[in-house]
Amino acid sequence: MDYQRLLYDAISCGAPIILCVLGGNFAHKANVLNIALEGMLLMGAFTSVLFTMLTKNILLGILICILINLIWGIVFSVMCVTKKGNPIIAGLAVNMLATAICAFLLKVLGMANLNVNSIVNVAGLKIQIPVINQIPFIGGIISGHPLMTYVSFIAIFVMWVIMYKTKFGVYVRVVGENEDAAVSVGINVNRIRYIAVLIGAVCSALAGINLSLEKMALFTNDMSAGIGFIAIAAIFCGSGRPGLTSIYAIIFGLAQSLAINLSISAGAYSGLFNTIPYFMIVFILAVVSIIKMKNNRVRGFKNE
Amino acid sequence: MNKVRKLGLSLLNSLLPVLCAFAIGAVIILIIGQNPLTTYWIMIKNTLFTWKGFMKTLHYASPLILTGLAIAITFKANIFNMGVEGQLLGGAFASCIIGFSLKSMNPTAHVIICLLSGIIVGMLFALVPAILKAYFHVNEMVVTLMLNYAIAKILQVLASTVFRDKAAGYVATSPIESSAMFNRIGGTSITLFFPITIVVFIAMYFVFKKSRLGYEITAIGRNTEFAEASGMNVRRKIIYMMLISGALSGLAGAGFMMSEKFKYTLDFSGSPGLGWDGMLIALLGGHDPIGILIAAVFYSALKTGSDSIGIFANVPKEIVAVIQGLMILFLSIRFIDQRTKVFENFKTRFISKKAQTEEVQ
Repeated sequence: MDYQRLLYDAISCGAPIILCVLGGNFAHKANVLNIALEGMLLMGAFTSVLFTMLTKNILLGILICILINLIWGIVFSVMCVTKKGNPIIAGLAVNMLATAICAFLLKVLGMANLNVNSIVNVAGLKIQIPVINQIPFIGGIISGHPLMTYVSFIAIFVMWVIMYKTKFGVYVRVVGENEDAAVSVGINVNRIRYIAVLIGAVCSALAGINLSLEKMALFTNDMSAGIGFIAIAAIFCGSGRPGLTSIYAIIFGLAQSLAINLSISAGAYSGLFNTIPYFMIVFILAVVSIIKMKNNRVRGFKNE
Repeated sequence: MNKVRKLGLSLLNSLLPVLCAFAIGAVIILIIGQNPLTTYWIMIKNTLFTWKGFMKTLHYASPLILTGLAIAITFKANIFNMGVEGQLLGGAFASCIIGFSLKSMNPTAHVIICLLSGIIVGMLFALVPAILKAYFHVNEMVVTLMLNYAIAKILQVLASTVFRDKAAGYVATSPIESSAMFNRIGGTSITLFFPITIVVFIAMYFVFKKSRLGYEITAIGRNTEFAEASGMNVRRKIIYMMLISGALSGLAGAGFMMSEKFKYTLDFSGSPGLGWDGMLIALLGGHDPIGILIAAVFYSALKTGSDSIGIFANVPKEIVAVIQGLMILFLSIRFIDQRTKVFENFKTRFISKKAQTEEVQ
């Protein structure tokens, strides 16, 4: 097996998961379970390609895509923050709506998939970092990714700073841990939750852009393939801490890259390798949960 | 009075989201330049108002009733079994393999074996997340969602390699033997699967309403810690619930296979899938058996009707999936809750106005 290729793909597959995870962390810490990441990611992937195709301009496409995802974030937070609805059901509704709208619009446009190869040059979007790409083995792994992949790794640090070093980060954590205490010291709980959800919406828009526009210049139905849910698994494993959850995100990215690279030479049964990421996530989530349970000293059964 | 008021509230809570979803759906249809009223009329004309069409609606409602019950029994206890879709596919695939590999069987025995294999596979697939949830506190939602993808991928590989029917031009298994098929009754679309569904439905009605398990499910859903503290074995109850849920989904898959599809194809469950439809139905029915029955028939009418709007109204039938998503979105909130006093507000306003006018006089 080509190890360089494997690790390159691990970073490449890990990037959208990291972005989703970083966005979802704030909502998780603010005690709103944001299942809608999957739908927002798909919507980001779809709208970025669609509007790049319509406006013939990548930057404009990306901008409109982020705006549309902000609207989705507002819809989701109106439902579960202002109206106090069930976030799991609202989130799944957003996911189903995103899938349905993509399928519906593709049918209306009369296309099987959206292709913007003529506008976006995929090879041209890959950034070669000057000095690093000269290093033998490692250069080929780290260098040559599109912009959003680098953004995702920089974002780990940025989000860590926001979460632990700013007033906003403290507020988010207070709101999640004790809502009444937050209200009593005059924090506008709903506003904090709105912002937390909207950060998730923007991050998943970036993840969607990375997935469709930057890597393939192509949108096909169901291309998100559960990445949003994988991100939620990573958030659960790392209990919403930016650094730890990103490490889990990279591990899950590695699992996906293993699946891709193993299935190249496997013939008819190659599809079986595609199940590796899913089983691995269930396994890791189980192990982490068991360890957490061992450290838990509360008596009885607690449903979270 | 209180009972009537409660029923009225829950009816309004189910009807308002549906109306909102249809209103937004109508706007979308207007935007693409079609008439929403004719589109909606075409959708329900044949499926609800003709005898043959209504029988077809009931036929397609059977798996939906079962998946609706499967979702409701776990959601009611705040356990989110999202794996109904995967369990349904597993059950369908198992019954399909038994259906075509056992030759020249007695039809009754063959049908029973097929249904049982579907139920058992559905239960097995539900058992994994159930044990992980009950004994190791692993979030059941993530596990079931992940297993859905894994099961779909594995079945896809199996259907396109080992069990592939070489004669078919697309990826599909061999069709099941005629001894395993449910035959149509009296020239309508109804098969024996519908009466079986109704029997299961009645049994589930008693589980929900009259049994100890039903009461305990409600209690766990209201307050898990209180249920635990008052002596219920929550862990064991979670396993029971998930097993029942898996059995219902497996039965839905097996029945749909044997009454409608007869072979496993990659789009067996359609889009967005019978399991996800079940979620809408459970929410629409307010996790109540009777509500689920009505919601399943209503949604089945929409879904079967959506085929004709693609042909007669120039609107892509994917619009039904959009409306479905909108309905779930609006069902996630309570439009009117116990505290909003619709009738009281109405009364006080009416009476105070009357009082005011009297005062003026």
